[in-house]
Amino acid sequence: MAKDSTARKLDERPTLFEVKRPGFGGGGPPTPPVQPNTPLGTNAWLGTVMLLGAEAMFFAGLVGAFLVFRIGSPVWPPPFQPRLPTGITGFNTVILLASAVTMQLALQAGRRGDRARLLRLLSWTALLGAVFLSVQGYEWARLLHFGLTVSSSVYGGLFYTLIGFHAAHVFGALIWLIVVWFNARQGKYTRQHHTGLQTCSMYWIFVVGVWPVLYGLVYLY
Amino acid sequence: MALLARAAPSLACAVCVSGSGDGAADGYNASVLFLMSTPYLVVGAIAGGLFLTYRRAQKRREKPEGDGNAMTLAWKQEESGR
Repeated sequence: MAKDSTARKLDERPTLFEVKRPGFGGGGPPTPPVQPNTPLGTNAWLGTVMLLGAEAMFFAGLVGAFLVFRIGSPVWPPPFQPRLPTGITGFNTVILLASAVTMQLALQAGRRGDRARLLRLLSWTALLGAVFLSVQGYEWARLLHFGLTVSSSVYGGLFYTLIGFHAAHVFGALIWLIVVWFNARQGKYTRQHHTGLQTCSMYWIFVVGVWPVLYGLVYLY
Repeated sequence: MALLARAAPSLACAVCVSGSGDGAADGYNASVLFLMSTPYLVVGAIAGGLFLTYRRAQKRREKPEGDGNAMTLAWKQEESGR
């Protein structure tokens, strides 16, 4: 090697003030890039979580009121009241649970960026939700015809209050879902940004999750 | 004094219900217990969801960047000979 060569010999120890440059014979292992502090979720996601907590307490209040009358009555349903259609409503429950499955699959498709599949699954979810509301509406019309109204008895008042508020929530979720469908068609949801889809999915699954509790209490208990 | 002796007790509590075994009292008890537990369930569910989201985000951060099939280069001083 030439006398004035700047190449460092392999067996030479680095001097105290030697500049260590990684890749040029000096320095330590490359340090990993600094990870930025990414938030767990968006503000909209957190707001939806708070909304769902408030809605859960709302339904809990209604269920609490139901429990007072249900457990406090020696005979339930009270005499001379029309019987509720448990069979067809059970089938309706399966339809609503299926809509939760399609909604979750739609969210996964949205996360992957598969727009065609997302639109297809959102359409199925909306259709199943609309079928649920239609069957509920038809059964309500039959119960009104048989004399079960809000003012006919405590039984009627409780039924229409609990099931009515849930139906209103399903209707609101359906409107939201239709808006999300149009947004998805315009390509507003990407792999990185799909908060609207995510929050709609959270609300839909919450509304579906409340229904088996109400069905079990109001129709079967 | 005579008037006081004749006075009937007046039940001023609008929501008091009589003793155990009474259907209405059982209904109120069940409702109160259910409503008392609901905030804990809701907050627990939210906290659990946040915890799971944090764990998922942590696993995503620890996962190596890029295609999982590509071999990642490991820099070791003894391997490089420097």
